[in-house]
Amino acid sequence: MIKHHPTPALLLAFTQGQLGASLSIAVSAHLEHCECCRHQVLALQETSAQYLDDDIEVDEWEDDEMISTITDNDYELHPKQSSPLRVNIREHEYTLPKALQSVGLSNWLKLGKLSRARVDLNEGEVHTNLLHIEKGGAIPRHTHKGFELTLILAGEFKDEVDTYVPGDFIWLNDANTHSPSTETGCLCLTIANNSMHFVQGISQVLNPVGKLIY
Amino acid sequence: MLANDLRSHHVNMVVPTSKQVSNTKHPELCIWLQDVAINRDKLAFSKLFKWFAPRIKQFGIKQFNNEAQALELVQETMTNIWRKSHLYQKDKGAPTTWMYSIMRNMSFDMLRKLQTQRTETISDDIWPVDNILVSEDIDNFEDHLQSRNIKALLEHLPEKQKQVVSGLFYKQVTQEQLAQQLNVPIGTVKSRLRLALNKLRQLMGESDD
Repeated sequence: MIKHHPTPALLLAFTQGQLGASLSIAVSAHLEHCECCRHQVLALQETSAQYLDDDIEVDEWEDDEMISTITDNDYELHPKQSSPLRVNIREHEYTLPKALQSVGLSNWLKLGKLSRARVDLNEGEVHTNLLHIEKGGAIPRHTHKGFELTLILAGEFKDEVDTYVPGDFIWLNDANTHSPSTETGCLCLTIANNSMHFVQGISQVLNPVGKLIY
Repeated sequence: MLANDLRSHHVNMVVPTSKQVSNTKHPELCIWLQDVAINRDKLAFSKLFKWFAPRIKQFGIKQFNNEAQALELVQETMTNIWRKSHLYQKDKGAPTTWMYSIMRNMSFDMLRKLQTQRTETISDDIWPVDNILVSEDIDNFEDHLQSRNIKALLEHLPEKQKQVVSGLFYKQVTQEQLAQQLNVPIGTVKSRLRLALNKLRQLMGESDD
């Protein structure tokens, strides 16, 4: 069962289109798994939309030309017909969330039991990846200089705090230290705005792991 | 065969929420939107436009801090509403909620393009406004969902076409039986059905194929 959800403030920002693409995609992917958050977003959307129903002071609109430009063209738009992307990694096939179906993905880069593909969103220091951990894999104990969001898309993983399942939305910051591992393997969407900081082992040895994941 | 014909069309729709149109303080908005959707009524559209455009512009100015971009948002949003009005379902919720989703999606893609130079339209993937399902199990639910939504669409049909469709699909009578019941030639049943299916496809956002 999903135990980790976006905060209400994050859901509101999502509903109002105020989050960047990476976090919006992550919330949307969570909603695919979580009915209770879907209900909340629908309610927030109705509330946000009341703005358009309010009697507010507005200037009379005078540009009639824009109206006729629009209505002169009479073709109808139909919903985009496309199906979610499938990815193959290490002989597993996964269906990606709908929110990822139109964005670019890099090739997979592999290191030990870890593989990652970048999601091309061009958001500066905020990096978004698909991360696959093969069964029995682990990430050394680390903390984060900024924030790290992990959304489980398939499989499971656990750390010192909990065991996570698809849909779990795990937000960590520099106050959290953990060492995730998976028995059966997992695919995650990860978003981070800084590289991770390893707190055990020789950090130089672990640097390639840190670079791969960020 | 006809039932399959209807079912094979993928329909993007939502389960009606408990909130109904009566929610809106301005029921005329809903009437105008229906007029645009069903009759392509330009006068109704211009009334909708005059209500929404200044409000969208205000939203745009907050979002972009720039009047030209706010006006672009008005134009893009209202263009979408004109071209997608046939997808609006009044039992999905208030027209303002539907219009808000379109405005929010346009604004998101515009802002993303400005900030990251990425031009793919991804808002409709993130907020599938045409199919936010509220069901627990989307796969098992789809048939049920579809028949519910088709029932809602039937309300858009003229009474005689509605009789034919509901007889054939919901009461499972044959075309011959229906012709007898309605006391009309079978050819009339067939032609009403054809008209009704064309209209339904159009309402479901499918091209006639």
